[in-house]
Amino acid sequence: MKNNFPYFRNISLGIGALVMIFLFSGCKKFLDTQRQGEYAAEDYPYPGGAGPYDQFIFGAYNELRDFNVHVFGFLHATSIRSDDADKGSTPADGGANSLEMDNFPVSPTNGFANSLWTGYYGLINQTNNTIFEVNNNTEIEATEDIKQQTIAEARFIRGYAYFMLVRLYGRVPIIDTLYSDPAAQNNVPQSSPAEIYAFIENDLNYAVNHLPVSWDPKFVGRVTKGAAQGMLAKVYLTQEKWAQAMAMAQAVMTSGQYGFAQPPAGSNMSSYDYLFREEGENSRESLFEVQATATATNPQDLGIQYTQVQSIRGSGEWNFGWGFNTPSEALANAYEPGDPRRARTILFTSTPTTPGVTIYGETTPLGLPNPRYNQKVYSNPAIKAAVGSRSGWWMNVRILRYADVVLMFAEAANELGGAANIAAAREALNSVRARARAGNNNILPDVTTDDQNELRAAIRHERRVEMAMEHERFFDLVRWGIAQEALHAVGKTAFREGRDELLPIPQTQIDLSNGVLTQNPGY
Amino acid sequence: MKKSSTPFHAVRFFRTQRFVFLVFSLLLTMVSLAQRTVTGKVTGMAGEPMAGVSIQVRGEAGGTSTNTEGNYSISVPSDTSVLVFSFVGFSTQEVTVGNRTVVNVSLSAAASELNTVVVVGYGTQRKRDLTGSISSVNGDEIARLPNTNPIASLQGKVAGLTVANSGQAGASPVVRIRGINSTNTANPVYVVDGILQDNIDYLNPADIESIDVLKDPSSIAIYGLRAANGVIAVTLKKAARGRTVVNLQSSVGVQRVQDRIEVVDAAGFRRLYEAQLRNLGADTFDFRNYTANTNWQDLVLRNAIINNNNLSISSSGEKTTTHLSLGYTYQDGVLRNNNFKRYLARLSQDVRITSNIRVGGDINGTHIINNPAGVSVTNALWAAPIVPVQADENTYYAMPSFQRAQVGNPIANLNRNDRTSINRSYRVIGSLFAEIKFARSFTWKSVVYGDFSYSTNRDYSPLPFRFINLGEGVAPTTTTFDNTVRTSASQSQSESRRFQQDHTLSFDKRIGNGHSINAVAGFTTLYNNSSFINGTRRDTSVNIPNNPDYWYINIVNQNNPGNFGGGGGESALAGAFGRVSYNYRGRYLLNATLRTDGSSKFAPGRRWDQSGSIGLGWVVTDEDFFNNVKGIDFLKVRGAWGLTNNSNGIPDNLYRPGINNASSAIFGDNVFTAIRPAYIVDPNIHYEVVRGLDLGFDLRALNRRLNAEVTFYNRTTTDILTTLDIPNDNRSFFTNLGKITNKGVEISAGWNDAFNRDFNYGISANFSYNKNVVNAIGDNLNFQIVRGPNLTETGRSIGYFYGYRQIGIYQSTADLAKQPALANSLPGDIAYEDINGDGVITPADRTYLGTPFPPYTFGGSINLSYKGFDFLLDGQGNAGNKIFTQRRTSNFAVLNYETNRLNAWTGPGTSNVEPILDNTRGNNFLFSSYYLEPGDYFRIRTLQIGYNFSNAMLSNIGITKARIYLSGQNIKSWSQVTGYSPEPLIGSILQGGADNGAYPVPATYSVGLNVTF
Repeated sequence: MKNNFPYFRNISLGIGALVMIFLFSGCKKFLDTQRQGEYAAEDYPYPGGAGPYDQFIFGAYNELRDFNVHVFGFLHATSIRSDDADKGSTPADGGANSLEMDNFPVSPTNGFANSLWTGYYGLINQTNNTIFEVNNNTEIEATEDIKQQTIAEARFIRGYAYFMLVRLYGRVPIIDTLYSDPAAQNNVPQSSPAEIYAFIENDLNYAVNHLPVSWDPKFVGRVTKGAAQGMLAKVYLTQEKWAQAMAMAQAVMTSGQYGFAQPPAGSNMSSYDYLFREEGENSRESLFEVQATATATNPQDLGIQYTQVQSIRGSGEWNFGWGFNTPSEALANAYEPGDPRRARTILFTSTPTTPGVTIYGETTPLGLPNPRYNQKVYSNPAIKAAVGSRSGWWMNVRILRYADVVLMFAEAANELGGAANIAAAREALNSVRARARAGNNNILPDVTTDDQNELRAAIRHERRVEMAMEHERFFDLVRWGIAQEALHAVGKTAFREGRDELLPIPQTQIDLSNGVLTQNPGY
Repeated sequence: MKKSSTPFHAVRFFRTQRFVFLVFSLLLTMVSLAQRTVTGKVTGMAGEPMAGVSIQVRGEAGGTSTNTEGNYSISVPSDTSVLVFSFVGFSTQEVTVGNRTVVNVSLSAAASELNTVVVVGYGTQRKRDLTGSISSVNGDEIARLPNTNPIASLQGKVAGLTVANSGQAGASPVVRIRGINSTNTANPVYVVDGILQDNIDYLNPADIESIDVLKDPSSIAIYGLRAANGVIAVTLKKAARGRTVVNLQSSVGVQRVQDRIEVVDAAGFRRLYEAQLRNLGADTFDFRNYTANTNWQDLVLRNAIINNNNLSISSSGEKTTTHLSLGYTYQDGVLRNNNFKRYLARLSQDVRITSNIRVGGDINGTHIINNPAGVSVTNALWAAPIVPVQADENTYYAMPSFQRAQVGNPIANLNRNDRTSINRSYRVIGSLFAEIKFARSFTWKSVVYGDFSYSTNRDYSPLPFRFINLGEGVAPTTTTFDNTVRTSASQSQSESRRFQQDHTLSFDKRIGNGHSINAVAGFTTLYNNSSFINGTRRDTSVNIPNNPDYWYINIVNQNNPGNFGGGGGESALAGAFGRVSYNYRGRYLLNATLRTDGSSKFAPGRRWDQSGSIGLGWVVTDEDFFNNVKGIDFLKVRGAWGLTNNSNGIPDNLYRPGINNASSAIFGDNVFTAIRPAYIVDPNIHYEVVRGLDLGFDLRALNRRLNAEVTFYNRTTTDILTTLDIPNDNRSFFTNLGKITNKGVEISAGWNDAFNRDFNYGISANFSYNKNVVNAIGDNLNFQIVRGPNLTETGRSIGYFYGYRQIGIYQSTADLAKQPALANSLPGDIAYEDINGDGVITPADRTYLGTPFPPYTFGGSINLSYKGFDFLLDGQGNAGNKIFTQRRTSNFAVLNYETNRLNAWTGPGTSNVEPILDNTRGNNFLFSSYYLEPGDYFRIRTLQIGYNFSNAMLSNIGITKARIYLSGQNIKSWSQVTGYSPEPLIGSILQGGADNGAYPVPATYSVGLNVTF
């Protein structure tokens, strides 16, 4: 008992001794109030069985659907910053936050810069919590294998989160545990990108070694060894560790678990078309998708707003969403003649002379604010009707898929060089083109060059159109060192090399850290 | 509890209203028959003769006054005549003549506010014997103002008390006592006849006998840990002994929003939006179909009725005392469709079983019906004025494409939500007490209180209207209807129970030669328990009719989608306390308090803690050496020190880990429950400790015409409990962190006098200054506490505005080149001051820009009465704070412009204040002094003229007193604030001062009637 009043205490006891003795014996219990309708940590009825730590790691999966992780800021930073997408919506919508992302520079007070930071650290927090529970929760009994598998799952997600952070901000603090006194301990200075990449590789390697190849069907979409290998391939590729990237990509390609999406037998959909529809979720091509669903009761709580913020901003029955992240004219012009991926990716809206038709055959109304929308997130009208919502919260977010891995393999192999590697790269590249061709031999001919530079250009081109609007383009431009050139070419002339590859460290976080965090160069 | 202690209660008690009526009837007929003369002498408390005392025969015209020896002579009509002795500064006495011919009277100092008793916690004390800071407001001052909430009537009346009203119908004001000394909640606790409450919204203003504001730690220590932010003690009316009184109060008024937020009209909008599009380099907007000029603000605001009615009946006999009151309030909000109805009933009964045993009880019932507006004022401020309202009853115009998704048609919102919500709440508060006096000096009192509240809401979500999208460019005009929207019905109910018990033993004795001791010891417990449930179901097949009879969840077949929830809470407090008050000959005063408190919010080892206080006073004027000092009637010097613990605003259970299981993982279409820690646990979390010193003097001078009180205080809170935003972690963390000091001075003074017998006047004024400093914010803390533009850090006042200081506008590229600038500044952007002088503007140039909390508050009042007329002028204001025009920082869409933007920079020399029209220039949306305005204001709070009908006019119709009045409230304000009201926005502590379209505080013009039978 803390005592503010040492000298009064004796007198205090003296004053009403009888009353108080009587009182305190009763009061001890009187003050032991209980939680009402809430679990305490120790009385949660933890389920046993195969997934004793599932409830903790599921918290991280929940966070993957968070608005600050994979929705608005994510699309601004990964897509709107690139030459493939415009801000969209109406001219001033989203205000300075959005326009800075579109046109550079992004100010340290930009709301998205801050929300991405808090979003990804929130995700990391859930993974650290899972690891903490596995190591410390004595209520739960589990085998060593289960413990390792759970930690591997957490470390995959944590590695992915740091991979996003290092590409977004460069230097960030590495938080890898739950601190006992967060007020004193949690204010960690930033690490260098090299240290962060080493940390990510560590996490993902652990995940590769301890994650299962696949899960029971009820856990479709839960992270696997293949997802970890694919992610690690991208981490290596980003660091230009070509051999390791090639090896990791190859491990995925030869695992037998993955391939190009296959529409159901008898369907007239192409593989590429099917892939982005609701029924193409968790297809054979999928390595890692943010899982989302919806019911008529819960049209949003079980989903993610990712689709809604990009969907057509019309009115009445054409009011699907906010209309951000629209494909740019440059992207529309980047496709080879006849490439069916163009129409699958870009929804051209109706003009007075040309009707714009969706993949479901609906004709868009005149006068929509934007000439193009992202058709990869166009939701099935039948599902909209069934859920009773037009907002598409149920659509999964494709984070990593087989074609991406194949193109990473091609790029790494080509960069590594040597005739055999270049041939392997070309073969991988052509496999992606063959799928895109969908049986039409008049389009997208095979690439035949042996020249490393020509093949590099072909791979980069293929990566752009195959992965268009899939959050790769800006990071790719930075990785390739051509961001300034590409962005200036589409009129984003405020982009300045050496500054705008990275977001500013959010001023709010610098302020909260009392100056422990420091700003990126140029800001 | 505040009763004027005239010694003539015994005379009064048989004088029922009927009896008085009889007396008057007799008098009227016998007036000429029995005239006789009565003489006597009037003396003061010390036996000194009093000159100029006015003497009247009640109900008669004319009268006389005492001569220099204090003697008088007056003729009276009969033995039943009542003589009325009155003198400024002394309590009026009424004496029935009887068969006497000599009536000597000793007058005591005015119902002397010094002798009135004030609540000091589990007891009362004469104001003259206080050693701490307690300010009292008489119930009459509250009842005469036509406010729905009694606390609103305290605004500007008490030094050190800040009241910020809300204009929302039925809403309670924000109340602060002596600044902010916690980061969680700064609300005072209310003690209504002993029961601890969070608000007094349920009280009938006419039922209030008095309100005492306990300000310093020595005064609040006895109340323990709920009281750390100050105590507002309310004493309710009890029947006066020996009388039956029926009182009716009624007022009706109209409320009007005096000051609109000035937004541009259609022409202004067009001009500004076109300029903005040019600045953005965007295509021009096709305005051809947008020809309307709609003032949305006018359409959502209205002049609104307010009506207050109170009826009370009190009766007191030999053995029992009864007080019954009924109240009804109806208030329309100035925002259309918003209204509030309140029904109140209270019954209080005391029974004197023997002269030593008293039992009684009190029951208070409240029923409130509240209808929300269904639209916010910001909706009306943001909507473009170029859009017409509606085409027919079910077809409205949609906003233009640039704000269609973000801003709805305000009138469509208003009408769609009209009467779709039924909100009813019920509350019953009761108490029972027994009091036994024994062994001459001892009193045992036990009181048990119960507070039960229940609220039930039903809501209906109707179908949307049809909307016309006016054609823009190639887009044709279309009419749309959102056919995915379905009707739904919702219900929610919540209940809470609170039990309190107080048991006290008190001792009161005068010993020997002038020693007077009063002591009290006791214990108290408080227990809270609450629960709620809610549910909603959406009908996917049929449309629920727009008729409240159908608005129950079960109107929708259960195979339709629905959401249901429920929860509860429990907490408990216990305390034991003791106080000794001692004085020697009323000259030397001592008050000491001890208390020990326990709270269920903390871990068992941290649960109990002690608090206490000591106060000393010296009535200098009672000293012999002061007898020769002329002009000063009373002077008391007082000093007090106190310590109290605080756990207000701390959520339950934070000391032990909790789990949030509201999230889920999805795999395919399968849903799995996830759990996560609900917060970061601090097992050592403990009380905040408030310590304070209070020094002052009370003065009455010049025959008690002048009164003055001056108090200095210095109050420190240590171990401040704060919720911290931990970067890199999304869990909240509550921990003991810092130290805050509030220092200040409070001065109040008044002058009461009469020009002659018919013309009295009084002037009073109060002023207070409070300086808030955060002395430390965590020894172990390496984070800053930043909430939006507000920073809390060591050495500054709490939650101060932290940002850039505007010094102008960059007029041109050349101008820009000459000045420090941000990396991407452009001409037309706001130029900020280079605080650190390094030649560029960086975040390091942010600085202190002001505080949201007014350091200076003041109020004043002038009272005049001439014969039956009375006149009241109350003014009130504050100074030194800033208001953040947050509503102007919204840039998520193109919103209507406030008129300041008409002066926006358009080229060199056009403006040095208003930046260029371009909501994509982030530099101009950085928090800066551009978004702050001075919060200083002075307002005529009340202007009231009343007329009291004379007894002669009333006695024939059985009325003892009657007053009618005309009253205007908030009729004029002087300030530079551009929002609806200059009242400070101090509800939030760490993020205060932001005006995001605060509900307008209207002016109210009313007429009222107060009749006593």
